[in-house]
Amino acid sequence: MTTLLYTHPRCLEHDAGFGHPECPARLTAILNALKTASFVTLEWREAPEASLEQLTRIHSLKHVERIFARVPRHGHYAIDGDTIISPQSGEAALRAAGAVCAAVDAVLKGEANNAFCAIRPPGHHAEPHQAMGFCLFNNAAIGAAHARVVHGLERVAVIDFDVHHGNGTQAAFETQQGYLYISTHQAYIYPGTGRREERGIGNIVNVPLSASAGSTELRQAWIQDVEPALHAFQPQLILISAGFDAHYLDPLAGLNFCEEDYEWLTGNILAVAKQYCQGRVVSMLEGGYNLQALAASVAAHVKVLIDAPLAA
Amino acid sequence: MYEFLQYLVCDAMTPEPIAMSPKAKLREAEALFEVHDFNGVPVVDDQRHLLGILTKFDLLKAFIFDFHTLVPHYDEIMEQTIETVMTSHPVSVEPQLPLSRLLQKLVEMRAKSLPVVKEGRLVGMIAREDVLKALRRAAIQHETPAREEQ
Repeated sequence: MTTLLYTHPRCLEHDAGFGHPECPARLTAILNALKTASFVTLEWREAPEASLEQLTRIHSLKHVERIFARVPRHGHYAIDGDTIISPQSGEAALRAAGAVCAAVDAVLKGEANNAFCAIRPPGHHAEPHQAMGFCLFNNAAIGAAHARVVHGLERVAVIDFDVHHGNGTQAAFETQQGYLYISTHQAYIYPGTGRREERGIGNIVNVPLSASAGSTELRQAWIQDVEPALHAFQPQLILISAGFDAHYLDPLAGLNFCEEDYEWLTGNILAVAKQYCQGRVVSMLEGGYNLQALAASVAAHVKVLIDAPLAA
Repeated sequence: MYEFLQYLVCDAMTPEPIAMSPKAKLREAEALFEVHDFNGVPVVDDQRHLLGILTKFDLLKAFIFDFHTLVPHYDEIMEQTIETVMTSHPVSVEPQLPLSRLLQKLVEMRAKSLPVVKEGRLVGMIAREDVLKALRRAAIQHETPAREEQ
Protein backbone atom coordinates (compact mmCIF):
# COMPACT_ATOMS: atom_id res chain seq x y z
CA MET A 1 0.00 0.00 0.00
CA THR A 2 1.15 3.45 -0.73
CA THR A 3 0.38 7.15 -0.62
CA LEU A 4 -0.75 8.77 -3.86
CA LEU A 5 0.04 12.31 -4.95
CA TYR A 6 -2.42 13.80 -7.41
CA THR A 7 -1.48 16.96 -9.26
CA HIS A 8 -1.49 18.46 -12.77
CA PRO A 9 0.68 21.01 -14.60
CA ARG A 10 -2.45 23.06 -15.37
CA CYS A 11 -2.79 23.80 -11.65
CA LEU A 12 0.44 25.81 -11.99
CA GLU A 13 -1.06 27.90 -14.78
CA HIS A 14 -4.07 29.30 -12.92
CA ASP A 15 -2.85 32.87 -12.40
CA ALA A 16 -4.67 35.36 -10.19
CA GLY A 17 -2.44 38.26 -11.20
CA PHE A 18 0.76 39.94 -10.09
CA GLY A 19 1.46 39.74 -6.39
CA HIS A 20 -1.65 37.67 -5.57
CA PRO A 21 -0.94 35.48 -2.53
CA GLU A 22 -2.64 32.43 -4.08
CA CYS A 23 0.14 32.13 -6.64
CA PRO A 24 1.62 29.28 -8.74
CA ALA A 25 4.83 29.49 -6.67
CA ARG A 26 2.88 27.92 -3.79
CA LEU A 27 2.43 24.72 -5.73
CA THR A 28 5.98 24.82 -7.12
CA ALA A 29 7.35 25.05 -3.56
CA ILE A 30 5.21 22.09 -2.48
CA LEU A 31 6.07 19.91 -5.47
CA ASN A 32 9.79 20.65 -5.06
CA ALA A 33 9.58 19.62 -1.41
CA LEU A 34 7.79 16.40 -2.35
CA LYS A 35 10.44 15.53 -4.93
CA THR A 36 13.13 15.15 -2.26
CA ALA A 37 14.49 11.79 -1.10
CA SER A 38 12.14 11.45 1.88
CA PHE A 39 9.18 11.21 -0.48
CA VAL A 40 10.55 8.70 -2.96
CA THR A 41 7.74 6.24 -2.19
CA LEU A 42 5.02 8.70 -3.15
CA GLU A 43 3.20 7.53 -6.27
CA TRP A 44 2.58 10.54 -8.51
CA ARG A 45 -0.58 10.51 -10.60
CA GLU A 46 -1.91 13.02 -13.11
CA ALA A 47 -5.21 14.53 -12.05
CA PRO A 48 -8.04 13.98 -14.53
CA GLU A 49 -10.65 16.65 -15.25
CA ALA A 50 -13.78 16.47 -13.14
CA SER A 51 -16.91 15.67 -15.13
CA LEU A 52 -19.95 17.92 -15.24
CA GLU A 53 -21.81 15.22 -13.33
CA GLN A 54 -19.24 15.34 -10.52
CA LEU A 55 -19.36 19.15 -10.33
CA THR A 56 -23.15 19.42 -10.37
CA ARG A 57 -23.57 17.10 -7.40
CA ILE A 58 -22.57 20.19 -5.41
CA HIS A 59 -22.82 23.19 -7.72
CA SER A 60 -25.71 24.41 -9.80
CA LEU A 61 -25.28 24.05 -13.55
CA LYS A 62 -25.65 27.81 -13.75
CA HIS A 63 -22.66 28.29 -11.45
CA VAL A 64 -20.48 25.98 -13.55
CA GLU A 65 -21.55 27.67 -16.79
CA ARG A 66 -20.96 31.11 -15.33
CA ILE A 67 -17.40 30.22 -14.30
CA PHE A 68 -16.52 28.98 -17.76
CA ALA A 69 -18.22 31.91 -19.46
CA ARG A 70 -15.98 34.24 -17.48
CA VAL A 71 -12.66 32.54 -18.16
CA PRO A 72 -10.85 35.19 -20.23
CA ARG A 73 -9.05 34.46 -23.52
CA HIS A 74 -6.20 36.58 -22.22
CA GLY A 75 -5.48 38.70 -19.18
CA HIS A 76 -7.62 38.38 -16.08
CA TYR A 77 -11.24 38.48 -14.98
CA ALA A 78 -12.09 39.43 -11.40
CA ILE A 79 -15.09 37.46 -10.09
CA ASP A 80 -14.70 39.50 -6.93
CA GLY A 81 -11.90 41.63 -5.49
CA ASP A 82 -9.72 38.60 -4.69
CA THR A 83 -11.10 35.78 -6.82
CA ILE A 84 -9.39 36.39 -10.12
CA ILE A 85 -9.16 34.02 -13.06
CA SER A 86 -6.91 33.69 -16.09
CA PRO A 87 -7.13 31.66 -19.36
CA GLN A 88 -6.05 28.38 -17.74
CA SER A 89 -8.16 28.73 -14.57
CA GLY A 90 -11.13 26.77 -15.90
CA GLU A 91 -9.10 23.67 -16.67
CA ALA A 92 -7.05 24.06 -13.47
CA ALA A 93 -10.28 24.08 -11.45
CA LEU A 94 -11.51 20.97 -13.29
CA ARG A 95 -8.20 19.21 -12.57
CA ALA A 96 -8.38 20.23 -8.91
CA ALA A 97 -11.87 18.78 -8.41
CA GLY A 98 -10.98 15.82 -10.66
CA ALA A 99 -7.91 15.06 -8.55
CA VAL A 100 -10.03 14.65 -5.43
CA CYS A 101 -12.58 12.40 -7.17
CA ALA A 102 -9.80 10.23 -8.65
CA ALA A 103 -8.08 10.03 -5.26
CA VAL A 104 -11.37 8.98 -3.66
CA ASP A 105 -11.76 6.27 -6.32
CA ALA A 106 -8.21 5.00 -5.83
CA VAL A 107 -8.38 4.92 -2.05
CA LEU A 108 -11.81 3.27 -1.97
CA LYS A 109 -10.72 0.67 -4.52
CA GLY A 110 -7.81 -0.16 -2.23
CA GLU A 111 -5.08 1.02 -4.61
CA ALA A 112 -3.61 3.12 -1.82
CA ASN A 113 -4.03 3.80 1.87
CA ASN A 114 -4.36 7.51 1.42
CA ALA A 115 -3.70 10.37 -1.00
CA PHE A 116 -2.70 14.01 -1.09
CA CYS A 117 -3.98 16.30 -3.84
CA ALA A 118 -1.50 19.10 -4.59
CA ILE A 119 -3.98 21.31 -6.39
CA ARG A 120 -5.03 24.88 -6.96
CA PRO A 121 -7.30 26.79 -7.12
CA PRO A 122 -8.41 25.83 -3.61
CA GLY A 123 -12.06 25.01 -2.96
CA HIS A 124 -13.51 25.33 0.53
CA HIS A 125 -14.97 28.86 0.12
CA ALA A 126 -16.81 27.99 -3.12
CA GLU A 127 -20.52 27.75 -2.35
CA PRO A 128 -23.01 25.81 -4.46
CA HIS A 129 -23.95 28.96 -6.38
CA GLN A 130 -21.01 31.28 -5.76
CA ALA A 131 -17.25 31.36 -6.38
CA MET A 132 -15.39 33.35 -3.72
CA GLY A 133 -12.26 33.57 -1.58
CA PHE A 134 -9.87 32.37 -4.34
CA CYS A 135 -12.13 29.28 -4.85
CA LEU A 136 -14.12 28.28 -7.95
CA PHE A 137 -15.37 24.74 -7.26
CA ASN A 138 -15.57 23.09 -3.86
CA ASN A 139 -13.07 20.28 -4.26
CA ALA A 140 -13.72 18.72 -0.85
CA ALA A 141 -17.50 18.71 -1.17
CA ILE A 142 -17.32 17.34 -4.72
CA GLY A 143 -15.01 14.55 -3.54
CA ALA A 144 -17.26 13.72 -0.58
CA ALA A 145 -20.38 13.61 -2.78
CA HIS A 146 -18.50 11.40 -5.23
CA ALA A 147 -17.73 8.94 -2.43
CA ARG A 148 -21.37 8.88 -1.32
CA VAL A 149 -23.02 8.63 -4.76
CA VAL A 150 -20.58 6.47 -6.73
CA HIS A 151 -19.20 4.28 -3.96
CA GLY A 152 -22.32 4.15 -1.85
CA LEU A 153 -20.71 5.29 1.38
CA GLU A 154 -23.15 6.36 4.07
CA ARG A 155 -20.86 8.53 6.20
CA VAL A 156 -18.14 10.83 4.85
CA ALA A 157 -16.31 13.32 7.08
CA VAL A 158 -14.47 16.44 5.97
CA ILE A 159 -11.94 17.91 8.42
CA ASP A 160 -10.88 21.44 7.53
CA PHE A 161 -7.89 22.94 9.37
CA ASP A 162 -7.39 25.93 7.07
CA VAL A 163 -7.21 29.17 9.10
CA HIS A 164 -10.37 30.39 7.36
CA HIS A 165 -13.77 28.80 7.79
CA GLY A 166 -14.90 26.66 4.86
CA ASN A 167 -18.23 28.37 4.31
CA GLY A 168 -18.66 26.63 0.97
CA THR A 169 -18.29 23.13 2.35
CA GLN A 170 -20.63 23.98 5.22
CA ALA A 171 -23.20 25.40 2.78
CA ALA A 172 -23.01 22.23 0.68
CA PHE A 173 -23.58 19.89 3.63
CA GLU A 174 -25.56 21.72 6.30
CA THR A 175 -28.87 20.17 5.21
CA GLN A 176 -27.48 16.85 3.98
CA GLN A 177 -27.45 13.55 5.81
CA GLY A 178 -24.34 11.42 5.53
CA TYR A 179 -21.79 14.20 5.76
CA LEU A 180 -19.91 15.56 8.75
CA TYR A 181 -18.03 18.85 8.37
CA ILE A 182 -15.55 19.85 11.09
CA SER A 183 -13.62 23.10 10.91
CA THR A 184 -11.00 24.70 13.15
CA HIS A 185 -10.37 28.29 12.10
CA GLN A 186 -9.55 31.75 13.38
CA ALA A 187 -12.67 33.57 14.62
CA TYR A 188 -13.82 36.90 13.19
CA ILE A 189 -11.81 36.80 9.98
CA TYR A 190 -12.84 35.96 6.41
CA PRO A 191 -15.45 34.79 5.49
CA GLY A 192 -17.21 35.61 8.79
CA THR A 193 -19.05 32.29 9.09
CA GLY A 194 -18.09 29.35 11.31
CA ARG A 195 -19.61 30.25 14.67
CA ARG A 196 -20.15 27.37 17.08
CA GLU A 197 -23.92 27.85 16.87
CA GLU A 198 -23.86 26.98 13.15
CA ARG A 199 -24.56 23.26 13.50
CA GLY A 200 -26.49 22.38 10.33
CA ILE A 201 -28.60 19.31 11.01
CA GLY A 202 -26.20 18.37 13.78
CA ASN A 203 -23.52 17.52 11.19
CA ILE A 204 -21.49 20.74 11.32
CA VAL A 205 -18.86 21.21 14.03
CA ASN A 206 -17.24 24.64 14.08
CA VAL A 207 -14.37 25.33 16.45
CA PRO A 208 -13.41 29.01 16.15
CA LEU A 209 -10.05 29.84 17.72
CA SER A 210 -9.09 33.25 19.02
CA ALA A 211 -6.39 35.26 17.25
CA SER A 212 -2.89 34.12 18.25
CA ALA A 213 -4.07 30.65 19.36
CA GLY A 214 -1.42 28.00 18.77
CA SER A 215 -0.45 24.42 19.58
CA THR A 216 -2.17 24.30 22.97
CA GLU A 217 -5.52 25.55 21.72
CA LEU A 218 -5.33 23.24 18.70
CA ARG A 219 -4.85 20.23 20.95
CA GLN A 220 -7.71 21.35 23.18
CA ALA A 221 -9.95 21.74 20.14
CA TRP A 222 -9.05 18.26 18.94
CA ILE A 223 -9.71 16.62 22.30
CA GLN A 224 -12.87 18.54 23.22
CA ASP A 225 -14.59 18.93 19.87
CA VAL A 226 -13.04 17.26 16.85
CA GLU A 227 -12.27 13.77 18.09
CA PRO A 228 -15.60 13.24 19.90
CA ALA A 229 -17.51 14.29 16.77
CA LEU A 230 -15.53 11.84 14.66
CA HIS A 231 -16.09 9.00 17.12
CA ALA A 232 -19.82 9.70 17.19
CA PHE A 233 -20.02 9.78 13.39
CA GLN A 234 -17.76 6.78 12.62
CA PRO A 235 -16.75 7.92 9.13
CA GLN A 236 -16.23 5.47 6.29
CA LEU A 237 -13.86 7.93 4.60
CA ILE A 238 -12.14 11.10 5.82
CA LEU A 239 -11.33 14.00 3.54
CA ILE A 240 -9.00 16.75 4.74
CA SER A 241 -9.27 20.36 3.59
CA ALA A 242 -5.62 20.94 4.31
CA GLY A 243 -4.91 24.65 4.50
CA PHE A 244 -1.62 25.64 6.08
CA ASP A 245 -2.32 29.35 6.66
CA ALA A 246 -2.71 28.89 10.41
CA HIS A 247 1.11 28.68 10.43
CA TYR A 248 2.82 31.31 12.59
CA LEU A 249 4.62 32.80 9.59
CA ASP A 250 1.58 33.10 7.36
CA PRO A 251 0.79 36.69 6.34
CA LEU A 252 -2.98 36.27 5.98
CA ALA A 253 -4.03 35.47 9.53
CA GLY A 254 -2.99 35.35 13.16
CA LEU A 255 -2.95 31.76 14.42
CA ASN A 256 0.37 30.24 15.48
CA PHE A 257 0.53 26.63 14.35
CA CYS A 258 3.89 25.12 13.40
CA GLU A 259 5.00 22.13 11.31
CA GLU A 260 4.86 19.83 14.34
CA ASP A 261 1.22 20.78 14.88
CA TYR A 262 0.32 19.67 11.35
CA GLU A 263 2.26 16.48 11.93
CA TRP A 264 0.41 15.87 15.20
CA LEU A 265 -2.97 16.67 13.69
CA THR A 266 -2.40 14.39 10.69
CA GLY A 267 -1.33 11.55 12.96
CA ASN A 268 -4.47 11.92 15.02
CA ILE A 269 -6.73 12.03 11.96
CA LEU A 270 -5.06 8.87 10.66
CA ALA A 271 -5.58 7.14 14.01
CA VAL A 272 -9.32 7.81 13.78
CA ALA A 273 -9.32 6.71 10.13
CA LYS A 274 -7.59 3.50 11.12
CA GLN A 275 -10.23 2.85 13.76
CA TYR A 276 -13.28 3.38 11.53
CA CYS A 277 -12.35 3.22 7.85
CA GLN A 278 -9.22 1.16 7.26
CA GLY A 279 -7.10 4.32 7.27
CA ARG A 280 -8.80 5.76 4.19
CA VAL A 281 -7.92 9.45 3.97
CA VAL A 282 -7.88 11.85 1.02
CA SER A 283 -6.26 15.19 1.76
CA MET A 284 -6.22 18.24 -0.49
CA LEU A 285 -4.50 21.60 -0.49
CA GLU A 286 -6.49 24.68 0.47
CA GLY A 287 -4.63 27.81 1.71
CA GLY A 288 -1.13 28.63 2.98
CA TYR A 289 0.72 31.69 1.73
CA ASN A 290 4.22 31.77 3.18
CA LEU A 291 6.06 29.64 0.65
CA GLN A 292 8.67 28.21 3.02
CA ALA A 293 6.19 27.52 5.81
CA LEU A 294 3.75 26.03 3.31
CA ALA A 295 6.30 23.66 1.77
CA ALA A 296 7.59 22.56 5.18
CA SER A 297 4.08 22.07 6.57
CA VAL A 298 2.86 20.08 3.56
CA ALA A 299 6.02 17.97 3.77
CA ALA A 300 5.32 17.27 7.46
CA HIS A 301 1.67 16.41 6.63
CA VAL A 302 2.50 14.10 3.70
CA LYS A 303 5.32 12.38 5.59
CA VAL A 304 2.79 11.28 8.21
CA LEU A 305 0.45 10.06 5.45
CA ILE A 306 3.31 8.00 3.96
CA ASP A 307 4.37 6.58 7.31
CA ALA A 308 0.81 5.67 8.29
CA PRO A 309 0.63 2.14 9.65
CA LEU A 310 -1.52 -0.21 7.63
CA ALA A 311 -5.14 -0.47 8.65
CA ALA A 312 -5.94 -2.74 11.54
CA MET B 1 -2.50 45.10 -0.52
CA TYR B 2 -1.03 41.94 -2.08
CA GLU B 3 2.44 43.52 -2.06
CA PHE B 4 2.02 44.36 1.62
CA LEU B 5 1.45 40.69 2.43
CA GLN B 6 4.99 39.97 1.27
CA TYR B 7 6.64 42.53 3.55
CA LEU B 8 8.42 41.42 6.70
CA VAL B 9 9.11 43.49 9.80
CA CYS B 10 12.76 43.89 8.70
CA ASP B 11 11.58 45.55 5.46
CA ALA B 12 9.91 48.42 7.33
CA MET B 13 11.65 48.78 10.72
CA THR B 14 14.18 51.42 11.75
CA PRO B 15 17.37 49.35 11.94
CA GLU B 16 19.93 49.81 14.71
CA PRO B 17 17.81 52.35 16.59
CA ILE B 18 18.98 54.69 19.33
CA ALA B 19 18.91 52.81 22.63
CA MET B 20 19.71 53.73 26.23
CA SER B 21 21.51 52.15 29.14
CA PRO B 22 19.43 51.10 32.17
CA LYS B 23 21.71 53.31 34.26
CA ALA B 24 20.93 56.45 32.24
CA LYS B 25 18.84 59.10 34.02
CA LEU B 26 15.22 59.86 33.25
CA ARG B 27 16.43 63.39 32.44
CA GLU B 28 18.43 62.00 29.51
CA ALA B 29 15.46 60.06 28.24
CA GLU B 30 13.26 63.11 28.49
CA ALA B 31 15.84 65.09 26.50
CA LEU B 32 15.80 62.39 23.84
CA PHE B 33 11.99 62.51 23.62
CA GLU B 34 12.25 66.29 23.19
CA VAL B 35 14.48 65.96 20.14
CA HIS B 36 13.03 62.86 18.49
CA ASP B 37 9.45 61.89 17.92
CA PHE B 38 9.91 58.53 19.63
CA ASN B 39 7.06 56.66 21.25
CA GLY B 40 9.53 54.85 23.44
CA VAL B 41 13.22 54.08 23.60
CA PRO B 42 14.64 50.57 23.95
CA VAL B 43 16.88 49.87 26.92
CA VAL B 44 19.85 47.57 26.29
CA ASP B 45 23.03 46.30 27.94
CA ASP B 46 26.53 46.68 26.49
CA GLN B 47 25.94 43.83 24.02
CA ARG B 48 22.62 45.36 22.95
CA HIS B 49 20.60 42.64 24.66
CA LEU B 50 17.12 44.04 25.12
CA LEU B 51 16.37 44.70 28.81
CA GLY B 52 13.28 46.83 28.56
CA ILE B 53 11.58 49.72 26.90
CA LEU B 54 11.00 53.19 28.28
CA THR B 55 7.88 54.84 26.92
CA LYS B 56 6.51 58.31 27.58
CA PHE B 57 3.92 56.60 29.74
CA ASP B 58 6.70 55.08 31.85
CA LEU B 59 8.10 58.59 32.32
CA LEU B 60 4.70 59.85 33.46
CA LYS B 61 4.43 56.84 35.73
CA ALA B 62 7.41 58.18 37.72
CA PHE B 63 5.28 61.13 38.74
CA ILE B 64 2.15 59.42 40.01
CA PHE B 65 1.26 60.01 43.64
CA ASP B 66 2.58 57.37 45.98
CA PHE B 67 3.44 56.99 49.64
CA HIS B 68 6.98 58.41 49.34
CA THR B 69 6.15 62.08 48.94
CA LEU B 70 3.14 64.31 49.22
CA VAL B 71 4.13 66.15 46.04
CA PRO B 72 6.52 64.56 43.47
CA HIS B 73 9.67 66.63 42.97
CA TYR B 74 10.65 67.07 39.34
CA ASP B 75 14.42 67.36 39.68
CA GLU B 76 14.64 64.51 42.11
CA ILE B 77 12.60 62.17 39.94
CA MET B 78 14.51 63.09 36.81
CA GLU B 79 17.68 61.88 38.55
CA GLN B 80 16.28 58.36 38.87
CA THR B 81 17.71 55.74 36.53
CA ILE B 82 15.68 54.43 33.63
CA GLU B 83 15.63 50.90 35.03
CA THR B 84 13.46 52.06 37.94
CA VAL B 85 10.47 52.85 35.70
CA MET B 86 11.08 51.09 32.39
CA THR B 87 8.84 48.26 31.22
CA SER B 88 10.91 45.13 31.74
CA HIS B 89 10.46 42.05 29.54
CA PRO B 90 8.67 44.00 26.83
CA VAL B 91 6.82 42.31 24.00
CA SER B 92 9.18 42.14 21.04
CA VAL B 93 8.94 40.76 17.51
CA GLU B 94 11.30 38.93 15.18
CA PRO B 95 12.60 40.62 12.02
CA GLN B 96 11.12 37.80 9.89
CA LEU B 97 7.56 38.28 11.15
CA PRO B 98 5.15 39.18 8.32
CA LEU B 99 4.30 42.87 8.56
CA SER B 100 0.60 41.98 8.30
CA ARG B 101 0.93 40.05 11.57
CA LEU B 102 2.81 42.92 13.21
CA LEU B 103 -0.06 45.22 12.24
CA GLN B 104 -2.58 42.94 13.98
CA LYS B 105 -0.36 42.82 17.05
CA LEU B 106 -0.02 46.61 17.28
CA VAL B 107 -3.79 47.01 17.03
CA GLU B 108 -4.55 44.26 19.55
CA MET B 109 -2.05 45.67 22.05
CA ARG B 110 -2.82 49.30 21.22
CA ALA B 111 0.97 49.64 21.06
CA LYS B 112 2.66 52.51 19.29
CA SER B 113 5.92 50.72 18.57
CA LEU B 114 7.68 47.46 19.36
CA PRO B 115 11.34 46.49 19.59
CA VAL B 116 12.65 44.04 16.99
CA VAL B 117 14.92 41.40 18.44
CA LYS B 118 17.11 38.74 16.85
CA GLU B 119 18.66 36.14 19.15
CA GLY B 120 18.05 38.38 22.15
CA ARG B 121 19.74 41.42 20.61
CA LEU B 122 17.97 44.59 19.57
CA VAL B 123 18.12 45.01 15.78
CA GLY B 124 15.35 47.54 15.18
CA MET B 125 12.22 49.37 16.22
CA ILE B 126 8.95 49.18 14.33
CA ALA B 127 6.29 51.82 14.82
CA ARG B 128 2.76 52.55 13.60
CA GLU B 129 4.17 55.14 11.20
CA ASP B 130 6.47 52.55 9.60
CA VAL B 131 3.49 50.26 8.94
CA LEU B 132 1.42 53.09 7.48
CA LYS B 133 4.32 53.99 5.21
CA ALA B 134 4.65 50.36 4.06
CA LEU B 135 0.91 50.17 3.35
CA ARG B 136 1.18 53.30 1.21
CA ARG B 137 4.21 51.92 -0.62
CA ALA B 138 2.44 48.62 -1.30
CA ALA B 139 -0.65 50.40 -2.62
CA ILE B 140 1.45 52.41 -5.07
CA GLN B 141 3.37 49.37 -6.30
CA HIS B 142 0.44 47.07 -6.80
CA GLU B 143 -2.33 47.56 -9.27
CA THR B 144 -5.38 45.34 -8.79
CA PRO B 145 -6.23 43.53 -12.03
CA ALA B 146 -9.19 45.18 -13.66
CA ARG B 147 -12.36 43.36 -14.51
CA GLU B 148 -12.02 42.51 -18.17
CA GLU B 149 -15.08 41.93 -20.26
CA GLN B 150 -15.10 39.15 -22.83
